[in-house]
Amino acid sequence: MSEAGFLLSRRDFCRAAAATGGLVATGGLGGAAEALAGLGNALTLQTTTRLSAVEARYYDKLEHNEIICRICPRECRVGDLERGYCGTRENRDGIYYTLVYGLPCAVHVDPIEKKPLFHFLPGKLAFSIATAGCNVNCKFCQNWDISQFRPEQTRNVDLPPERVVELAIKSNSAVIAYTYSEPIIFYEYMYDTAKLGHQRGVRSVMITGGHISEKPLVDLCGQLDAIKVDLKSFSEKYYQDIVHGELKPVLDALVTIKKQGLWQEIVYLVVPTLNDSEKEFKELCQWILTELGDSVPIHFTRFHPTYLLKNLPPTPTATLETACDIALAAGLKYVYIGNVPGHKRESTHCGSCGKKVIGRYGFYITEYHLQGGVCKYCGKPVPGVWA
Amino acid sequence: MPAEKSKVVLVRSARSVTKNGEIDAKATSALLAAGLCLLAGQKDAAVSLAGYVQPRQKVGIKVNCLARRVVVTQPALTEALVKLLQEARVKGEDIVIWERTTDELKQAGYEPNMFKSGPRCLGTDARGVGYSSRLYPIGSIGSLISNILVEEVEVNINLPVLKDHNLAGLAGGMKNFYGAIHNPNKYHDNHCNPYVAEVNALPLIRKKNRLTIIDCLKVQYHGGPAYNPGFVERYGGLILGADPVATDVVALSVLEKIRNAHGRPPLKREGRHPEWLMTAGSEKYKLGNASWDKIELIEKTV
Repeated sequence: MSEAGFLLSRRDFCRAAAATGGLVATGGLGGAAEALAGLGNALTLQTTTRLSAVEARYYDKLEHNEIICRICPRECRVGDLERGYCGTRENRDGIYYTLVYGLPCAVHVDPIEKKPLFHFLPGKLAFSIATAGCNVNCKFCQNWDISQFRPEQTRNVDLPPERVVELAIKSNSAVIAYTYSEPIIFYEYMYDTAKLGHQRGVRSVMITGGHISEKPLVDLCGQLDAIKVDLKSFSEKYYQDIVHGELKPVLDALVTIKKQGLWQEIVYLVVPTLNDSEKEFKELCQWILTELGDSVPIHFTRFHPTYLLKNLPPTPTATLETACDIALAAGLKYVYIGNVPGHKRESTHCGSCGKKVIGRYGFYITEYHLQGGVCKYCGKPVPGVWA
Repeated sequence: MPAEKSKVVLVRSARSVTKNGEIDAKATSALLAAGLCLLAGQKDAAVSLAGYVQPRQKVGIKVNCLARRVVVTQPALTEALVKLLQEARVKGEDIVIWERTTDELKQAGYEPNMFKSGPRCLGTDARGVGYSSRLYPIGSIGSLISNILVEEVEVNINLPVLKDHNLAGLAGGMKNFYGAIHNPNKYHDNHCNPYVAEVNALPLIRKKNRLTIIDCLKVQYHGGPAYNPGFVERYGGLILGADPVATDVVALSVLEKIRNAHGRPPLKREGRHPEWLMTAGSEKYKLGNASWDKIELIEKTV
């Protein structure tokens, strides 16, 4: 056991975030638990090498101690002593367990804009957690050193749901964000934490790739306040080759979230030569308009070479601008460019009068002209969750 | 694919597994020696091993302990191999018996200091071992590799156990290298095809692994890969070969024969035929001979 101490106040957070992006409880394989320098020790996290053995939800038992997991469309068939694709759920004598309940390997406090969620409590802090594991394997994953590892290979901290909520409150975070890796693979932990958070006035958001089956998603929507979905492409082939997943279940999830009435935003990471054709942008935007409506914010974000895609350059800003133009021409009202700090498309413009209502630089709010979610200039509502 | 036929040896001994299901160490040792001699065409087992491992090389022995008990690489077999390696002038301290985790090794009966003369039993998770810092692209996936294979050993002997596998169909020699990567869960889609081939095509594995000896003393012929007591055959055999594909082709035939004898359908009918074997033998991967007309099978009962 070792200890990592950190203190969090909003002022400290802002200073730390500017320097490092938040506070860290862990790195990947071989990483040491650490605290951000200069933040004091008001909050303490305990690292642990134990794994949880909490029975997983949504699975069926088969013959010979096999099980089939129903949490995501992958529907892993898992033999005794084996794990599913996510690496975080293990079959022991025909009972499926989550090994990561209460054991995040990343704990930060971020601006909600970092998720990004631009129409959800702007300027608020999000107490952000992730466990090891993921149910896809994107070749461009920025967080592969946690998402593509098993929980015994990451440095985890002991953080049961009650403690997450407590720390969120102590750190002045209005929101708990389940993020960085793929929260669906720590579904039980996320669900229980979100439920407890609501009881204490803390809201919850999920940052997901959207590979989740309908029933668990519907149940989860009852505990969440917003979801950001990474729609990684509008091509099945891209999903197969680059994501190791499927497009259709993600589209289904987006429609389900809309039906459940939950606020959602979409991120589309534009990867040069792989998902950046104008044709794909057009098809994507038309689908969003038809199935989700014109008010769903979409963020076209810049790719940076990493993990298994180091041979491609960062996305040219011009490509992101082309995507934006296509989305606006298609009729989508809230279109953003991400990972290009200072770009004018980081700001929110009123869907009715076109005036800038929220100015942003990177993750920070520079101006704000909404009152109760209504444009100060034209008096028309801007969709979102503002208070 | 090798132009010549690949020699594979299947040896059996009724005495290697007792009526109580215990392993007879002496009979197992004799079985191993006989198999090695047949494979190398030599009269002496240690001399036979010298064809695959040079004196003073650092030698890894990759066992399979996933099932934790019964259908694991039998410690008595591993001990017999260690003894022969030492007779072949490999130093005890240069031998590493390895697996994914130390806990799996212990549960299967391997103690870290079970050998007095130096060989170590190590899980990749042991302190100071771990996985490579370098990410190795493997097909469309990427993995870190056990530092035991990357840094510790110069050559490796693959010493798995023959099992049915609910996804791969066959867990024999090539599948055992899933225990060398940090994220095997990413390699089970599509019944492990082409992933078993891709892992074994990794130059590190291809270059270092010299010999496969599949423990068929007790075979999990159905309901694997964990131990499933209703479906274990006391087969009393070993399969040996230098060609990993050909060795697994023979292993598959043994598994199917045992399944058939117990009224189990062919793996193909259960949708689990290991297509990855043909992939491994294909022009693309060239890991060995997958076709029977390119395999010379020598069978002997000891």
